[in-house]
Amino acid sequence: MAELNYKDLSVLVADDFSSFRSIVNGLLQSLGVTKVDMASSGEDAISLCQEKPYDVILCDYNLGQGRNGQHVLEELRHRSLLGKESIFIMVSAEAARNIVMSAYDCEPDDYLMKPITARSLQQRMDRLLRLKRVMKPVYQALEQSNVYGAMDRLTEMSLAEDRYSLYAQKMLGELFIREGQLDKAERLYTRALEVRQVDWARLGLARVKQLKGDLDLAETWLERIVEDNPLFLPAYDVLAENWEQKGERLHVQSTVQRAVDISPMSILRQKRLSDVALLNKDFDTAISALRKTVRLGELSCHGKAEDSIDFARLVSSTIEQKLNVAGVSIAEALEYLDAARDRYELDANRQAQCKLLSGRIHAIDGNAEMAEHFLEEANMVMDLDALDIDLDLDHVSILLALEKNKEANARLDELKVKYMHDQDALQKLDEFLTEPVSDANREMIAEVNREGIDLYKHGEFDAALACFERVRELFPKHVGIQLNIAQTLIGKLKSGQADDKVVNHCQSSLDLVASLIDPDHPQYSRYCQLRRMAIAA
Amino acid sequence: MTDKNDDIDFSMVLASSVHDMKNSVGMLLASLEGVIEETPPTSPAQAHRFSTLHYEASRINSELIQLLTIYRMQNDFLPVRIDEHFVFDVIEDQVARNHILLETKGINLDIECDDTLSWYFDQDLIGSVLHNVIVNCARYTKSAILVTAMIEDEMLAMTVEDNGPGYPDAMLRRPAGQINDSLVNEGQTHLGLFFADKIASFHKQSNRCGYIQLNNESKLGGGCFKLVIP
Repeated sequence: MAELNYKDLSVLVADDFSSFRSIVNGLLQSLGVTKVDMASSGEDAISLCQEKPYDVILCDYNLGQGRNGQHVLEELRHRSLLGKESIFIMVSAEAARNIVMSAYDCEPDDYLMKPITARSLQQRMDRLLRLKRVMKPVYQALEQSNVYGAMDRLTEMSLAEDRYSLYAQKMLGELFIREGQLDKAERLYTRALEVRQVDWARLGLARVKQLKGDLDLAETWLERIVEDNPLFLPAYDVLAENWEQKGERLHVQSTVQRAVDISPMSILRQKRLSDVALLNKDFDTAISALRKTVRLGELSCHGKAEDSIDFARLVSSTIEQKLNVAGVSIAEALEYLDAARDRYELDANRQAQCKLLSGRIHAIDGNAEMAEHFLEEANMVMDLDALDIDLDLDHVSILLALEKNKEANARLDELKVKYMHDQDALQKLDEFLTEPVSDANREMIAEVNREGIDLYKHGEFDAALACFERVRELFPKHVGIQLNIAQTLIGKLKSGQADDKVVNHCQSSLDLVASLIDPDHPQYSRYCQLRRMAIAA
Repeated sequence: MTDKNDDIDFSMVLASSVHDMKNSVGMLLASLEGVIEETPPTSPAQAHRFSTLHYEASRINSELIQLLTIYRMQNDFLPVRIDEHFVFDVIEDQVARNHILLETKGINLDIECDDTLSWYFDQDLIGSVLHNVIVNCARYTKSAILVTAMIEDEMLAMTVEDNGPGYPDAMLRRPAGQINDSLVNEGQTHLGLFFADKIASFHKQSNRCGYIQLNNESKLGGGCFKLVIP
């Protein structure tokens, strides 16, 4: 191997202590490095990397206030400011890299423990520079989209049984999976596992099984991996995906929850937890995970204005629906919306959305005047040609919060026409309507109705009720379903299985229908008939 | 501790304070190494003072790291990440970390290990065990240390040997890693051995478990510390 040339290397040293920066600078000079830049904070480090690429970055994990080394690495990778050939070394005073690194997804090339000596630094840099030099043909092939060239080179390296074969094997496995060459990936991982049960190969094999559709086997493997190594985060992600594919949403949530418990700093997992908890109607978890997402977003490159907007929307609807979620505060939601407006570059419609939500929250809080003011402001900034369904519905929500029901209903009718050909939008719209308009929800209701009516006919009133209740949760204003519930309860009353609770339940279902319909409604006569039957029963 | 509000977890307070001390000692060591680099000792007496300074600071640093690690072991905060590593690299890292100490004491350290030999272990934990043993040998050896690594009986066997007086009988008789109260009272905790044994035992593979062993059968004539990882 040719000698490594330190003279031409450009190095960035990031540490909040100037004494440490100058110590490292001294060490680098003694190794012959001449081009050294210094950063005293994460923000500085990132902006220097924007200006030019560095061969080596020595970044302390702890950078005082603001972003830490992990944030810097995450952002450099996310924004592609770190070339494949660049070296990122995390420096820390921690005893074990595990403590610092185990809870993160972005791995540095290496990790160096303080105190650093000239010799340790040289050894690490030598090793990594040699590795990158050996890998260079692979990186180049990948940059030219020559995947097969890269695979061939990696295959050669994997079989060489030298210092680089392990690194090459890991990378080759990833590449096979990415390119859908599952049989080759399976062979590679199986071979590695014949030697020793290592986590990376077990996970690789589980991923292959999952991609081949063998979800049960993948699950067995994944459960074994996390049992042996409870801190191996990627395994939880793949396991969550496995449950997702099985359609087991509660399991998805509990798996993501396990990963979040290990790695509370991972913003993307918090977001995922919030999303799945929302689908599971676990509002406590959804709100608390979304709150963490917003807070982590303050320093993370993965922070988004949408997180604050979603938070405000979720808080509003839980309060409107009187769901009594612990620790929910109107002030907090408003604060996040303000912060989002300050921190992120928002287009006109996102700004309008923030204003609509602020207004909605004020309306819920009983401050109609403030709400009206925000609504006006939102109307001024809105770009009417580029409204999306979410913004449209936020608009409807504030109208409803201000008790402008006529206006809201008129708007909903317009939206039905506007989104006629957009099933995803129609599904969102369904939540506001008495009768769903999207195909998927119509079919589901028809299906459940058939099932419920069949059970009712066989006198299985409780099972029929459970059926209708499922739909009522999704469409609390659906007249047909409400009437079916009332009819089933009357059936229960007639069969003599009744108590006061059933009577009250029946009464409140009919009262709700009364508030939803008028004599012109197609279901009105059926409603009147059920009213009479309820009194007779 | 009578007041309810004082109900704090003392071990946690201790741990965070140890963490702080460790960082300070780290800075102290780095500065000291800078001083030694810039102004090499001019007399044997000065070299001796430098090496004492460095050795004692290193010892405090290692001791604090061990305390933290043990605290984490007990509280299950200690993730063990077993992966394949080159044994030579891990040894070389620890030698580099202690190279000033070895140089100022005039100790010659040799490594006997095939540089393509790889094995499965947690490199930080095993690294810290090697580091402690090397620092300890540097204190007792006359002039030489030998670190070896090879595969014996399908397990990785690493030894650190020296040409010092060897380990005292009391230590050889005691099962490695046991802390004995009477010794603690005499100020000899042998925390390092306890720590090394714990870490070795974290490495398991098909019913076999890692262990450490002490003897005085070194090729160099002094003590021999052996670490075996399945």
